[in-house]
Amino acid sequence: MTVNEQTPLEREFDPKPGGHRAPGRRSLAATLGLDRFSGLYVLAALILIFALWVPSLFLTATNFRIIAGSQAITAMLALGLIVPVACGAFDLSIGGTLGMGCCIVVWFQANGHGFILGIFAAVAFGLLVGLVNAFIVVKLSVDSFIATLGMGSILSAGTVWVTGGFQVANGISPHFTAIGQKQVLGLPLPVYYMVILAIILWWLLEYTPAGRYLYSVGGNPQAARLAGIRVGRITTGAFVVSGVVAAFAGVMLAAELGSSSPDVGVPYLLPAFSAVFLGATQIIPGRVNVLGTLIAIFLLATGVKGLQLAGAPGYINPLFNGLALIIAVALAVRATRRKA
Amino acid sequence: MTAALTVTNMSKSFAGPRVLDSVSLSLEPGEIRALVGENGSGKSTLIKILAGFHLPDEGSAEVEGEPLLLGRGEASEALGLRFVHQDLGLVNNLDAVDNIALGVGYPSFRGRIRWRQERKRTRAALRDLGYEFDVRRPAGSLAMSERTALAVARALAPRQNTAKVLILDEPTANLPAAEAERLFQLARRVADSGMAVMFVSHHFDEVFGLAHSVTVLRDGKHVITRPVAGLNEDQLIELVIGRQLEQVTHDAKAAERRDVVLQVSGLGCDVLNNVDMVVHAGEIIGIAGITGSGRDEVATALFGGIDRAGEVTINGAAVPKLRPDRAMAMGMGLVPAERHANAAFMTSTLRENITVVGTSLHWRNGILSKGRERSDVAVWLERLDVRPRNSEFTMSDLSGGNQQKVVLARWLRMGPKVLVLNEPTQGVDVGAKSDIHKLIDEAAADGTAVLVISTDHEELVRLCHRVLVLRRGKIADEISGGRMDHDLITAATIGRDRSDAA
Repeated sequence: MTVNEQTPLEREFDPKPGGHRAPGRRSLAATLGLDRFSGLYVLAALILIFALWVPSLFLTATNFRIIAGSQAITAMLALGLIVPVACGAFDLSIGGTLGMGCCIVVWFQANGHGFILGIFAAVAFGLLVGLVNAFIVVKLSVDSFIATLGMGSILSAGTVWVTGGFQVANGISPHFTAIGQKQVLGLPLPVYYMVILAIILWWLLEYTPAGRYLYSVGGNPQAARLAGIRVGRITTGAFVVSGVVAAFAGVMLAAELGSSSPDVGVPYLLPAFSAVFLGATQIIPGRVNVLGTLIAIFLLATGVKGLQLAGAPGYINPLFNGLALIIAVALAVRATRRKA
Repeated sequence: MTAALTVTNMSKSFAGPRVLDSVSLSLEPGEIRALVGENGSGKSTLIKILAGFHLPDEGSAEVEGEPLLLGRGEASEALGLRFVHQDLGLVNNLDAVDNIALGVGYPSFRGRIRWRQERKRTRAALRDLGYEFDVRRPAGSLAMSERTALAVARALAPRQNTAKVLILDEPTANLPAAEAERLFQLARRVADSGMAVMFVSHHFDEVFGLAHSVTVLRDGKHVITRPVAGLNEDQLIELVIGRQLEQVTHDAKAAERRDVVLQVSGLGCDVLNNVDMVVHAGEIIGIAGITGSGRDEVATALFGGIDRAGEVTINGAAVPKLRPDRAMAMGMGLVPAERHANAAFMTSTLRENITVVGTSLHWRNGILSKGRERSDVAVWLERLDVRPRNSEFTMSDLSGGNQQKVVLARWLRMGPKVLVLNEPTQGVDVGAKSDIHKLIDEAAADGTAVLVISTDHEELVRLCHRVLVLRRGKIADEISGGRMDHDLITAATIGRDRSDAA
């Protein structure tokens, strides 16, 4: 979006490129890419500030490695969440699904069934959660916010049931923890899984008909239906993707931690939402997208980490994420208002 | 006897010509009066003046001899005028008791609402009108006639003063025939209780079946007020449109008949009843009808947007119901009415708006090529003269006419066998309108079977080989060839018998 405001009347007589890519009169801000890449500027500013503030701690390779590694799981969860949000649905159950994925893969090992079977079971469980969510939303016409809020609570209960309410760490195979802890070129493996997932989803959303249908359903479900798009099917697919990805992220978390505990997934929900909505203000303004989400994740993580190193108390993390979610949605609403 | 309502020399203009020009009329207690006229004849303006929405330029009104203070809603109410507007004004998620309270408030006992008593009163009020239903159900879940009854009950609910005149604005516009009949009985009950009833209507069968007398307005002027007895439909039509309709015989040289493409038999839905039609390749068929006639539902019922009964075939193959994707795959295209709600993706680019149908045409080797999409779309933007002609602009940047062209391009690109257009030029300026008409002609010339549903009767005359007229969910008339005339279509929609078409 260009930064200068126009009244609706002006816009009618002076049609301007609304979103992205189109040429036309450009303000300085637009030329600098402030409209699409503001997040990158903020990220650079944050790095600069903390580099000056706490140079000995912040400006180290180890620190950046920690940020990348610690965010891989949140980023995966957020990437999966993009898909339902693109088609206009919330999935608040991903935190619970992540927790269940984590608990299931550990349970299989603790009970001597091996981690490979455990990984398949966890991912299959994520698929099942997606199907059930879709059934409630599509067939029973329950609002996705309510449906997945309830599902999240049910899954939280499930994690307590599977773990018996305690941390479980026995019988974990070292081959399994290697999946989550081994480092390649100084970065833990989950960072690479996250990058692969990002590429797959970027391709899905930008370069397949399915991606186009997702955004169409999110933009105007009635128009999508009357354009021959099977809205129910698209929505179902979206929940399946977020469920499977969340369960897989849970498996990665188990591998990183080498254990599972009840409610392990809950703290991941809000940062994922913050990132997706903040991401919608980037790259393709007004639209949730993969690159924007990744920028947002690392922007939030850098901010939190820098403040922690500068001596901020432990509660800075949820505080920062909560603020970011509200600001991100406010910005996104502003962007779509200007467009529509 | 004093007249219940007297209107004297009422005039009103809105920046320009007079929409109401020195109209006078009077109603007796117990009388049922129909107020008829074409769109824009001044009926609504007159009612809005009486309701206090508009202040007239000149004129006065009296209710039972008391002068009415014009321009004040409370004054109309205080003198006993009661209104039921076309949209009924009910709150859909409130029940009957609450909806009535919206008009008159809750009588309370020591600050508490006595619900049981309120429900009893509401039931009694509805029973007086001949209706019985659960007063705790939200208004939105009631049948249309029940909702109309509720709106009437609210209008008539007891207040400080007694109701003297009930004014209904197109009360049956959204009602199927059986429910309309119940409403007639309701109106008769109200009149029998000594009130005067005035209703606006486009249905002539209503005028003849219900009203004692009729007032005709044309171009804002009072044409006549007379008893219904002794009047026939042809005479009334002549009074409404101001001249005699030409009696033209069927034109034999109808459109060149090719193969049947679209065949519809027994089409039905909540408002449509057993509609049959056949559309040939290259033929443009029009569908006309007033609101509530089923006109609006034909398009979505055919395409599968709403549930339907009956059989729809394209080149002999049956199109399943409720499957827009199948209808599309079989070669049907739909440009729905109300572009914003049903067709446009306002925050997407023009390219995405056009390629949302047939997306996979540019999906090769696992990649959806935006470059190929752009050059494909550019051709269509050029052909339809969409401005600005840039496929990457956002839909919301365009004017209404250009948005409509984009929606049209979406389907023309697919070269459909059957193209269904509902209000194709709604909210479109004159230039774009004539462009769109040309495009429709071209599509037909290429062999597409076209169905145009429109309230713009001039448009139907301009485009169509034949026009089917719907009345109360059924095809009431078919107009073609030399009979094609927009006044005749209008007359047919409001209830002229097909005596000369038989």
